[in-house]
Amino acid sequence: MAIGQLHPVALAGVEPGDASLGFYVHVPFCAQRCGYCSFNTAALEAGAMARYLAALPRELDLLGDLPWARRVRIATVFFGGGTPSLLAPDELAAVLDRLRARFAVAPDAEVTVECNPESVARAKLEGYRAAGVNRLSLGVQALDDALLPRLGRLHDARGARAAFASAREAGFGNVSVDLMYGLPGLDADGFARAVEAVLGWAPAHLSAYALTLDAGSRWAAAGVAGLPPEEAVVEQYWRLARAAAARGFEHYEISNYARPGFRARHNLIYWRAAEYLAAGPGACGFVGGVRYANVRATPRWCETLEQGTLPVDASETLTPRQRLAERLILGLRTADGVPHAWLDERLAGDTPLRRRVDAWRARGLLGETGSGVRLSEEGFLLSDALFVELL
Amino acid sequence: MRLSRIRNFSIVAHIDHGKSTLADRLLALTGTMDAKKAVDQVLDSMDLERERGITIKAHTVRLLYRARDGQEYTLNLIDTPGHVDFSYEVSRALAACEGALLIIDAAQGIEAQTLANFYLASDANLTIIPVINKIDLPAADVEGTRAQITETLDLDGDEALAMSAKHGTGVPEVLEAIVQRIPPPQGDPDAPLKALVFDSFYDSYQGVVVHVRLQDGRVRPGTRILLMSNGRTYDVQQVGVFSPDMRPVEELSAGQVGYITAAMKRVADAKVGETITEAARPTTAPFPGYRDAKPMVFAGLYPIEDTEYEALRDALEKLRLNDPAFTFEPETSLALGYGFRCGFLGMLHMEIVQERLEREFDLSLIVTAPSVQYRILTTKGEVLDIDNPSKLPTPDKIEQMEEPYVRSSVFVPTEFMTAIYKLAQEKRGEHKSLEYHGKRVHIRFDFPLAEIVVDFYDKLKSISKGYASFDYEFADFRPSDLVKLDILLNGDPVDALSVIVHRDKAYEKGKALAEKLRAVIPRQLFEVAIQAAIGSRVIARETVKAMGKNVTAKCYGGDITRKRKLLERQKEGKKRMKQVGRVEVPQEAFLSVLKS
Repeated sequence: MAIGQLHPVALAGVEPGDASLGFYVHVPFCAQRCGYCSFNTAALEAGAMARYLAALPRELDLLGDLPWARRVRIATVFFGGGTPSLLAPDELAAVLDRLRARFAVAPDAEVTVECNPESVARAKLEGYRAAGVNRLSLGVQALDDALLPRLGRLHDARGARAAFASAREAGFGNVSVDLMYGLPGLDADGFARAVEAVLGWAPAHLSAYALTLDAGSRWAAAGVAGLPPEEAVVEQYWRLARAAAARGFEHYEISNYARPGFRARHNLIYWRAAEYLAAGPGACGFVGGVRYANVRATPRWCETLEQGTLPVDASETLTPRQRLAERLILGLRTADGVPHAWLDERLAGDTPLRRRVDAWRARGLLGETGSGVRLSEEGFLLSDALFVELL
Repeated sequence: MRLSRIRNFSIVAHIDHGKSTLADRLLALTGTMDAKKAVDQVLDSMDLERERGITIKAHTVRLLYRARDGQEYTLNLIDTPGHVDFSYEVSRALAACEGALLIIDAAQGIEAQTLANFYLASDANLTIIPVINKIDLPAADVEGTRAQITETLDLDGDEALAMSAKHGTGVPEVLEAIVQRIPPPQGDPDAPLKALVFDSFYDSYQGVVVHVRLQDGRVRPGTRILLMSNGRTYDVQQVGVFSPDMRPVEELSAGQVGYITAAMKRVADAKVGETITEAARPTTAPFPGYRDAKPMVFAGLYPIEDTEYEALRDALEKLRLNDPAFTFEPETSLALGYGFRCGFLGMLHMEIVQERLEREFDLSLIVTAPSVQYRILTTKGEVLDIDNPSKLPTPDKIEQMEEPYVRSSVFVPTEFMTAIYKLAQEKRGEHKSLEYHGKRVHIRFDFPLAEIVVDFYDKLKSISKGYASFDYEFADFRPSDLVKLDILLNGDPVDALSVIVHRDKAYEKGKALAEKLRAVIPRQLFEVAIQAAIGSRVIARETVKAMGKNVTAKCYGGDITRKRKLLERQKEGKKRMKQVGRVEVPQEAFLSVLKS
């Protein structure tokens, strides 16, 4: 499984298998780091953003110089973070323009920007829209004004509501809202109220994540008081699932709900184990069976690009068995599930695993989609127990 | 070689008092090997020995030493195992010596093993040289230790040597004392060959390499030898000494220590304690005290993956080549499938075999609860020896059950007597005698073997702050009120978790076992009911709740590799699980049976 240094030349040597790719751009900066966050973030120090904005186009250029870059189409672009909405509209537009100059970005490409409510005003969002952004993902997380500062968020409930309204006013029809549950001090009723309120705004899409104390987060290191018991988190999951269903949302991925036609196309690339390129500190890409990760530290990422080198830090070429396993464990995160053929390939000759899978079916955790199999909503909740077997 | 130039000795000590360090010093000082290599403590050559800080097998090294009298002496250092499971091996190794260095830590003073080793060496009629070690430590109390030696050991504390094995101070005097104080061996090189086997190991090129101490006679390549316990004869291929690697010599003669190879296929052919003589001119009397090392504890060994059964069998056969005290035969379990019933000298021996199988042969194993061998009289008048609880006939077919008892000796400072008696009572011990030796007492108890095989020694050490020493030997079978305690998972009995216990302890044991299993069985998709039962009567019940949630909330582009690796690690952990019916039971659950 050797994670080795991957020389940029090697990235040139891999051939994308897909004709169209996703493109992820990581914007690492945050005004303040949230307690639960384990993502790659950087403090917004003087000059840091400018240096980043000078380095990013170089990375797009270097990627665009890859021999196969001209042959692929970019179907989705996703600005994630960090806090991408710290970018001014003209800064964002410049990045997108450079990307379009280097790659064939599809005219109907889904272009998403993650936004923090406190950093978006109507004018900025209009600017984003003018730059070609057509989808926003709004990091609301909670609507409890006592809870939000504990999380480390800089907005309050009113600000969240206002940000959503601004998005609408700026002309965005495809807005997603992020919520969290299983939060310290938040009971099922409190969470259900937040869900109802957000659904009342009629977003196109809703993501809701159970809090996990991931390594690298402040809460994982220092601990956090008042976490609800497991039963309470499970109850919150079901309250959300029922409320979203009642409003016509489909529960199309473990933590994602969409009104028909509004699934996140970019994220579906991940769950289909399809290919995507990535730029920015710590960003991860997947091309031609190779998963690669950029240098994580923002200054070193900048430095590498300033020296004219792609800042790829580590890569791993998946074995056929790993590829199959990934397809299964990613595909089964979604309501589409996976084709029978994929699961059959994994189960061939593995009688104990087949029995295990049969037990999942018998318990109603796994079911038929017609052309394949999928986890039920109950199965979603226990999915890692199956995924570990499917590796 | 003249007998007067030979000294055969052993080093004995309480753990950590510096036995291995001194051995290394002696090797370096006599130029037997260079100091750097000596750092690796050659004597404890198995990984396991170094990690546990105990010697499992005896080792022998020949040192050549030019003494202050100008003569060169051959010093044979025979290292002994250091655990109660191997006390027979220790006694044979000491029987090959004339003297022993008894190492005592100047800061710690006399401790339990010091005393136990002193008695072992005294029983073997050895000349004992007390050596006070670690005199460089700030806390060293050399004079106090001398006084202790005089008081407790019946030796002259003023004659004790003082050294720092770590720095080398005083070590030359130790070498000189070995020559001056330990008597040379006595024996007649012209008498019929009489050699004591005190260890042997299997070498894939030479067959069994037998460690011997010659009492009388000579042996050289071509000598036809006779093994007196089994009547087998062999032609000697090679004789030699350990210096420290095997080095062939022309001949070994009376008083000498070395090795013999004779194309023996199995270590069991030349067991510890065996007397080797010349076939053409046998000695009249073998060494006294030979006994067959009999396994005392039995447990099932099962591969976690059924596909590893053949590999396990091959590994067991290889291990037995070197370890005749260990036995195995195939058995099947409803819960675990195909495996082997294995017999061991004791728990340490069992752990060693298990660890070697896992490390040296890369096997993942389930070890079932260890059991002693019970004797069952059936209503039909048959006598059955049962070492596997699941083979026990149903109560209606049993006329009488008997369990093995041991005779044991405990040496302990008087202040711990009360605690020792309390422990003995818990362990169904029968008090036999009590003798005072100064500030120490020697207590004899008879114990059911089953009560002492598992954790008795550890408990004894802990309640006596390490000062108690313990030794035992098999006594006899005695009638006992025993019952079989079964464990059921979701209503199905798991044969591999059954244990035979005394009726008075069944309830307590069942409750403890159910609790322990609840703690180690991970949550599954469904609730798991754990029941402890005697016959159809459930005496304890615990529940492992069904898994409520096991999900990764976020999985996007940057999370995929991390998530896969996380799951891969979990999967590695799951490899240690055995599917029993529908329930996944971790390896440690089976061992928890004995620890609860």
